[in-house]
Formats: sequence, C-alpha cells, structure tokens
Amino acid sequence: MTGWWPRGLARRHVVERFASDTLRAAGAVLFASLIAGVVIAALGFSPVEAIRALLAGSLIGPAALTATLLKTGPLLLTGLAVALCFRCGVWNIGAEGQLYAGALLATLVATRWLVGAPAVLVLPCLILAGALGGALWAAIAGALRVMRGVNEVISTILLNFVAIQLVSLAVHGPLQESAGAYPQSDALAQAARLPELARIHLGIPIAVLLALAGSFLLFHTAAGFRMRAVGLSPVAARFAGIVPERQLLLTICLAGALAGLAGAFEVSGVTGRLFESLSPGYGYTAIAVALLARLHPLAVVPSAFFFGVLEAGGGAMQREAGVPAVATDLVKGIVILLSIGFAAGVGGVRRVGPVARAPTSLSGPQADGEVL
Amino acid sequence: MLGSRTSSLFSLMLPLVLLVVSVSAGCGGGSGEESGFRVALLTPGSIADGGWNAGAYSGLLRIRDELGARVSHVETRTPAEFEESFRDYASRGYDLIFGHGFEYQDAAARVGAEFPSSVFVTTSGNTVRANVVPMVFELEQATYLCGVLAARMSRSGRLGLIGGIDLPSIRSTFLAFKGGAQAARAGVEVREVFIGNFDDTAAAREAALALLEEDVDFVLHQANEAGRGVFQAVAERVEKGERVYAFGTNRNQNDMAPEAVIASATLNIPAAFVEVARRVKQGRFEARPLRLGMASDIVRLEMNERLQGRIPSEVAEELVRLGEQIRKGELVVPRGAF
Repeated sequence: MTGWWPRGLARRHVVERFASDTLRAAGAVLFASLIAGVVIAALGFSPVEAIRALLAGSLIGPAALTATLLKTGPLLLTGLAVALCFRCGVWNIGAEGQLYAGALLATLVATRWLVGAPAVLVLPCLILAGALGGALWAAIAGALRVMRGVNEVISTILLNFVAIQLVSLAVHGPLQESAGAYPQSDALAQAARLPELARIHLGIPIAVLLALAGSFLLFHTAAGFRMRAVGLSPVAARFAGIVPERQLLLTICLAGALAGLAGAFEVSGVTGRLFESLSPGYGYTAIAVALLARLHPLAVVPSAFFFGVLEAGGGAMQREAGVPAVATDLVKGIVILLSIGFAAGVGGVRRVGPVARAPTSLSGPQADGEVL
Repeated sequence: MLGSRTSSLFSLMLPLVLLVVSVSAGCGGGSGEESGFRVALLTPGSIADGGWNAGAYSGLLRIRDELGARVSHVETRTPAEFEESFRDYASRGYDLIFGHGFEYQDAAARVGAEFPSSVFVTTSGNTVRANVVPMVFELEQATYLCGVLAARMSRSGRLGLIGGIDLPSIRSTFLAFKGGAQAARAGVEVREVFIGNFDDTAAAREAALALLEEDVDFVLHQANEAGRGVFQAVAERVEKGERVYAFGTNRNQNDMAPEAVIASATLNIPAAFVEVARRVKQGRFEARPLRLGMASDIVRLEMNERLQGRIPSEVAEELVRLGEQIRKGELVVPRGAF
C-alpha cells in the first residue's frame, strides 16, 4: 500500500536502508566473534579450538545442522512475535510466557481432549490450540494496556512467570503423566506428533513460511500499514482514522499466536511431552533475534538461524572443546549484547504515557527511517 | 528491489560461511578415533551448584583419574538438548553416558535403541532397556534413621520436612523419614512443606521459621542450596537457647551450622559414579536398576561430633543397630514407587 508515495524515492530509500542494515549486522557478528575469542583465550581455552567446536557442532554435518534448525524454529517464531509487536509500538517482552501458554493448551488437546483421535484431526487442533493459547495469553496484556493503561512491558514480563508456573502446576497436577511419577505430561500419541524428516519437524518450514507471510502482511497490506503507522506515530495514525488501541490488541494477539505456535511445535515436534523446562529462554533471546533483524520479518530468518548456531554450538563447545557451560553462556551473552549494540539505531525508542490516560500518545519502540 | 533485499539478507550470513569454510579446511583429516574407555556426563544445571550437579562432575573427574577414562561433560537445559547430546556422544563412540536426573529417561531410551554399543545410565528413574538403566540411590535408608533419631529425641513430638520442588525422589526420602519416625515413636506428627524451587534461601528460611513456630523441633530439608535458609532459621532459634535441630542432606552439612545440624544423611555421588563406571568397564553391566545405598557405603548417616553428646546413648546404640540391619538387608525401609 505504498501507492500514494513517490515510488522511486521509496525504493531507493529501502535499498539503502537494507544495505546499511546488513553491513551493521555482519559487522556485529564479526566483532562479537572477535571479542568472544579474546574472552575464551583469557579463560584459558584455545579460541580456535572452541570456535571450531562451535561451528562444527552447529553447521557441519547433518546432526549438527539438525540441532541448529531445531533451535532456529522456536527462535524464529518468537523473534517474529517480538518484531511485529515492536513495529506496532508494543513492547512485547512476553514471548516466553506466550510460548508456554501455547504449549500448555496444545498438550491439553493432545493428552486430554483428543486422545486416540487420528492425526488429521488432532494435529490441526493441536496447532490451533497452540496459537490460541499464546494469543489469549498475550491478549491479557493487550487488554490491560488498552483498558487500564497498564504498561505492557511490566505485564508481559510478569505474565511470563505466571505462564511458567502454570505449566509447572499442570505437570505436577492435572496434566501429570498417568504413571504419576515425574513432573511431566503423558507422552503424546504418535498421531499427535508433527511429521518429521530426519528429525526436522514440520514446524520449521511452517515458521519460515510465516516469516514470509509476516513480511507480506507488514509491507504489502493495509493491515500492516496500519500497524506500522501506529508504531511510528499513534497520534498521526489516529488523525488518519486508525484506532491505535485496536491495532495494539490485534498485533499483540497475532504475536502471541506466533509464540504459542512455537510452544506447540516444541511439544509436538521435539520433546513429545510437556516439561517444566521446555524452553531455555527462547522468548527472551527472541528480543535479540528481532533487534538483530532490525525488526524486519524476513531478516528474522537469518537472525534466528544465527542464534540457533550459538545455542547448538554452545553445547558442542562444552562437549568437544571442554569449555565449561558458564564460559559458553558468557560468550553467548557477549555476542548477543554486541549484536544488539551494533544493530541498534532501531533506537528512537521513545515511550510516552499509557494509552488509557492519554489516548493521543500511544507510542513505543520505532524503526527509524522506515518509509510508510 | 526484491533481488537486492534477499541478496543483502544472505550477505548477513556471509561472515559465518567464510568462518565455517576456513575452520573446516583447517581441521580436516587426522581425526583418528582414539581407543580406550570414554565416559560422558549430561547435567541439567551448573556443575558449580555445590550439590547435585557438582557431585556428578567430581564423580566424572574421579572416573578419569581412577579408571583412566577419557571424559567429557555438557550442561543441558531442555529435553531437546538431552537427545542432541546423547546422540552426539553415542555417535562418537562413548562407552558410558550418564544423564544426571530422571528427566533424561525418554531421551536415553530413544537414543539407546539406535546405539546399542553405548551404555546409558540415568540418575534415578525407572526406564530399563538392554543398554539403558537408572542408578537408584537409597538415601531413604539414611533419612529413615534421621526419622528414628528425631522421633526419639523430640520433646514436642512434632517434626518438620522442607522440600524444594515436589519430586518423587524427594517425596520418597520424606516417606522414609516418616516411616522411621513412626516406627520409633507412635503418634509422632510430621509436617511437610515444599517451597517450589531449590535456590530460594529466603523462602526456605521462612518455611522453617513457620514450622518452628508450630513447635516443630527437628527439621530435615531436601532443598539443595535453599537448605541454607533452613539452617539459618534453626541456628537463630538455637542462639536464643532453644533445643531445636536440623538435618543436613545429600552431603555432609554438619559444618554449615555446627550448633544446629545434628547429623547429615549423605550420598556419596562421586563414589556412585565411579562404582557404576567400574562395573561397565569390567563388563559387569546388567540391564536392571543399579541400587546404591548403605551396603556399598554410598549412603551414610554422618553425625555431627559437636552435638553427639546430646544424643542419649540408647538412641545412638539403636541407630547403629538399625544401620547394621539395613546394610545386611534385614531391614527394608519404605520408599516411594517411582
């Protein structure tokens, strides 16, 4: 929907922006690797050996690539969830909780409501349940913001803890395996497991397709235009006849659905059960994924893959180079920090009061220089 | 426009690709598989936790030193990572792979079926396959004795239990404690509280204070690091001159609060790991749960010498006698089915 804008100008601008973004991101990754190498050396390990293990354990060979892709999937979906929200000026820090909510509802469908149903019935229901669980969870924060002016940074963060505890409660109580021994759900029936090829489950290609769809939505539809308009200036958007509150609710529900899908895919595609520690913090890393991608849904794909490499490679660094977990965590942290630092300029991060009190100042994080 | 967009996206990956190429070029060849006994350990948390995981890691190091094995360790946080690491080690020919917790059972069974020449041992659990077994620590034998000691010495007849997360393994040690207490003194009352995690020292302290407020005079904890809070609470009461006591668990915690901890139910996890590895190395592996308790000296009740004078001699003798019966298998203490 850029018809009203001089097309030539828009194009040149977009191209320039992408070139500079890509350079920044690449620079961030390289610089972060350098610093990480220095840190590993300072800790008394061989940086060459460590980085070799990291890359070999995440990229070389089918097993390594599988490990990376299995982590890329949830990072991609939660990264998309965060990116879409930030575009609309909604600080969604709750992808982790939305992931857990999705996983919970999906498990409920698979192990309680549709036991013994054929795959054609249970799989779509489970996937929908995942999306619905995440969307409902996000809607709580959205509704609180729109109706009561509650800052969604706070509410989404707090709802993470609630969702994680809910899952914990569920696997100790109503959803616990019928054997009753361990805090885990019953194993999902084969019909409720996502089809997989060499352990790469269907959720991963679906996630990539959703990134394409997200990009299309954001840049080629009226709905996406409204979302971005509200993100850039809720006041101007309101003057243009857009209701920022409605956009906010729609966007956070959409984001919640994406994160909830990630949870359903983890249960149905990877673990086959609901556990307490289902996610190692994908929903938090997702913020870094989205920022490194400069909030562009398509760029979230390589960005999520990069963080997938870090996650999978971190394990390999321990197993093969003997670098202890704390050091690999440290390296991951440094890389994340530097990547975001470099990719910053997503800045312009302004925020004014809550919408209920001052409806004309719905504002939030913004992507600078974006052409509407 | 689309072309430049996608190509610039791909160039984000360029530095990575370059790195991979250069690194893989540099490390090609010469990867000849080394022979010898190789052992790997997966822990669910940091080996710097001073408890559960630290014990497993020092077991691994002892396997390296005492059995001359090549060892490797990885910290795995999610079920997806369990399987990935099992598979990686097994495919590289590791002989013995430990998964340090019940949560590793599913992954061990799945990967074990694909790699019959590796042995997978989970710490606790109930999954048994041809090459997958749990090792089961019988800490219950020692907490049973704690129950006996507490019931015999308690003035109020009220005993307290503080757990971290409500896990079957923890419930089982509590069950044994209650069994011991009730066997020693009919009508004794045991109250239990779970704080929901293993690291919130303040919550454990509050829970202990609440129990002490209810006239409980012996508290046994199963809260790993949070157990520190239990000792703080009991020590505060001891300073005020009250006769209240705590029990240490898993390792000897008598020195953590020397005036409050009367004894510790200890589990020598490193020794257990060495014992299991030795059996596997010598080809004495059997496809059934490995039970490790007081008989193999891996579980013990260690008394705090500073407070030993407070224990009436007939109670001390009873503990020795019961311990002997447990070792010989004449006394079987209650334990949870899990």
